[in-house]
Amino acid sequence: MSDPTGAFFTELGRRAHEPMLRKATGRLRFDLTDGTSEATWTVVMKKGDVSVSRKKGDADCVVTTDRPLFDAIVRGEKNAMAAVLRGEIKIEGDPELLVLFQRVFAGPADSVRRREHAVAGSSS
Amino acid sequence: MSDGLVEILDGNTFVVSDSRGDIEASLTDPTGLFSFDTRFLSKWILTLDGERLNPLSVDDLQYFEARFFLVPGTGTVYVDAKLSVIRRRAVGDGFHEELTLLNHDEKPVDIVVRVEAASDFADLFEVKDALQKKGSYSTQVDESSLRLVYERATYRRETAISASASATFDESGVTLLAHIEPHGSWTTDLDVVTAAGAGGTYTKPKYGGKGRRARPNMERSLDKWIEDAPRVESDWEPLKKTYQRSLVDLAALRFAPPVMGGQSLPAAGLPWFMTMFGRDSIFTSLQALPFTSELAATTLLALGDWQGSRLDDFRDEDPGRILHEMRYGEMTAFEERPHSPYYGAADATMLYVVLLDEYERWSGDRKLVRSLEQQARAALAWIDEYADLLGNGYVSYERRNKETGLENQCWKDSWDSISYRNGEIPGFPRATCELQGYAYDAKVRGARLARLVWKDPAYAERLENEAADLKRRFNRDFWVEDGEYFALALDNEGRQVDALASNNGHLLWSGIVDKSKAKAVVGNLMGPRLFSGWGIRTLAEGEGRYNPIGYHVGTVWPFDSSFVAWGLRRYGFKDEAAQIAAGILDAAECFNGRLPEAFGGYARTVTKYPVQYPTACSPQAWSTGAPLLLLRTLLGLEPLGEHLVIDPALPQGIGRLEVLDIPGRWGKIDAFGRGRAHVGRPGSRRQLGLVEEIMPKRKGKKARVTA
Repeated sequence: MSDPTGAFFTELGRRAHEPMLRKATGRLRFDLTDGTSEATWTVVMKKGDVSVSRKKGDADCVVTTDRPLFDAIVRGEKNAMAAVLRGEIKIEGDPELLVLFQRVFAGPADSVRRREHAVAGSSS
Repeated sequence: MSDGLVEILDGNTFVVSDSRGDIEASLTDPTGLFSFDTRFLSKWILTLDGERLNPLSVDDLQYFEARFFLVPGTGTVYVDAKLSVIRRRAVGDGFHEELTLLNHDEKPVDIVVRVEAASDFADLFEVKDALQKKGSYSTQVDESSLRLVYERATYRRETAISASASATFDESGVTLLAHIEPHGSWTTDLDVVTAAGAGGTYTKPKYGGKGRRARPNMERSLDKWIEDAPRVESDWEPLKKTYQRSLVDLAALRFAPPVMGGQSLPAAGLPWFMTMFGRDSIFTSLQALPFTSELAATTLLALGDWQGSRLDDFRDEDPGRILHEMRYGEMTAFEERPHSPYYGAADATMLYVVLLDEYERWSGDRKLVRSLEQQARAALAWIDEYADLLGNGYVSYERRNKETGLENQCWKDSWDSISYRNGEIPGFPRATCELQGYAYDAKVRGARLARLVWKDPAYAERLENEAADLKRRFNRDFWVEDGEYFALALDNEGRQVDALASNNGHLLWSGIVDKSKAKAVVGNLMGPRLFSGWGIRTLAEGEGRYNPIGYHVGTVWPFDSSFVAWGLRRYGFKDEAAQIAAGILDAAECFNGRLPEAFGGYARTVTKYPVQYPTACSPQAWSTGAPLLLLRTLLGLEPLGEHLVIDPALPQGIGRLEVLDIPGRWGKIDAFGRGRAHVGRPGSRRQLGLVEEIMPKRKGKKARVTA
């Protein structure tokens, strides 16, 4: 069975540095429930340096939601901020950390770059 | 107070009621208590012994507070003066209403006080477009409160109503029994608090505290806001009033987005745009920079947080793109609208870099500029990587969200704003001219920051080369030979969309115009087709789609004119800039110091007063900012290194203009301008812009450093 969420965090931890997270500093914890089981990932961010663990310690921001929804978010099928507005994602603590973090989620798979022509005359 | 409606607001919470203080909304009627793009009260009707009340007068004391003086009886002739009612209402995460009944009789009275309450929980988009709800309503009544609840799956919004006096709550309101001694009074506080999310986590009421005279936090912050702002002195009295109005309205339009920890940035306008807008926030921050840099700093940080990071067609998002609009209502939550946030603006990303540079020039805050280097680089990269849709080296736009995205992604965003002379509308993508100006300016300013702050001279050189190349091509491809101005746009086949429009003024502001072409451009701007006598028309008289009350096709937008005036200064046309400033400031006086979003493009010689556009937002942030930018242009304020250059050019009618304590990297500086003393006839209203002759010479410029 595929595990998009697990793969997402593993890959993020492997990167160790993510330029898109350079503005974020703090501990962001994800508590994801699937039926009766709960899984936790904690992301520690400091000026672009990222480490990921499965620890459930203190955090500056705790994000609580369903695992299937989070799977869909990391695949780019659902939008995290709309889910927050719907009440499907709960945030405790500093919401700015999630705003900064959501940049690393994928966009919709069918949103592809439209560029009918090659760039001419702009750069170079 | 247009249409007899009373509006009070705080951040993005606002209350619109009738002159009695009552709210009786329908799906299409814009009264109610609104917060975060949702209407939390659609009915709030006060009766005494079953009777509606009659308004005597309204004080809107502050932008967040109003007081209604009422008497029983709705008849137009007889009012029972034995009893009077005062409703004092302050907004702040809901609202707080202090209801006082005064018995003027010699006998005691017993009165049934009733407030009917209900909410339709409409999304602002629904109020605008009259759509139907999909969720379900319920109410919860207990001894101390009435809760109105709306739920749609996990989406939940609540309004809680409570009272300080003994009260009985039911599903449709609250009843209180008032016993009042002769010449006595009776009072209760009514609290209406809004909540979002499951479990109803209520935000702290801002008016809290104890006692009936608790002041909202906003009021204290308003005092400080005004105290911190520079002072304006002039022998032309209306200017001081307009300035004061602008300061207060700008304070009212400050909005603290949930992620910014109480720091504020300008929201767009009441009532439809009380939310975060990229373009509006940037333009307003630019206008306000000589008076406060706080708005610019917060705008840069907040928009940076939300900078696009991926391709998302529904939201018209690209990596590096700066958002257009953020919304919090139900339709956004369920993705029936793309505003979470929506990125469909073609100018905001470039203007972001322009603001970052201008902010540094005023504030000297390199720390912030350093911390936003990555955002600025991503924004500059967006210009060539994502905005050049036709691959012809120009920024153009075409929405990818075909259903709910914006067709025109420039500031003139109505459907018919971009047209050829003959009125025909071009296809997409469209490369409007001002976008090229902003792109040029962003690259030039980005280069300055790269050299000065980011210490990357190679990047600076690349940006400068690109800017020079863009300027050269632009002056060739957009120049309309037979009219001697720049075309409004290039269409999808690269042909000129050849109507004459106010956008030419933005081109001057951006610096993309060849010096040799400036005089002709200014001639067109100040000519009778574009200059109405009050300001610059959005589209020139004589064009196919020209309409003096068409939203972007003939009206005058004070914000637009203020940037045109800045552009004129940039190219050395001081007197022309002063002429526009005079016209807009005269108009401001006609609107009691509060400029609307737009007003009619009728010639000043025909109407004598500016005709307000029917559904214009007021107050509106960048209109509120227009007098501030005009003050800057009149005094010719320009940061140069660690100094502020002051080079006044006043219109006739202003003999003396002083802006005191201008904050910036120099500490605080006073700027003085002296014109030709010219006193109007006693008793007649002095208007600036009616003077045909522009002051030929200015004298008496000086600057004094006070800190």
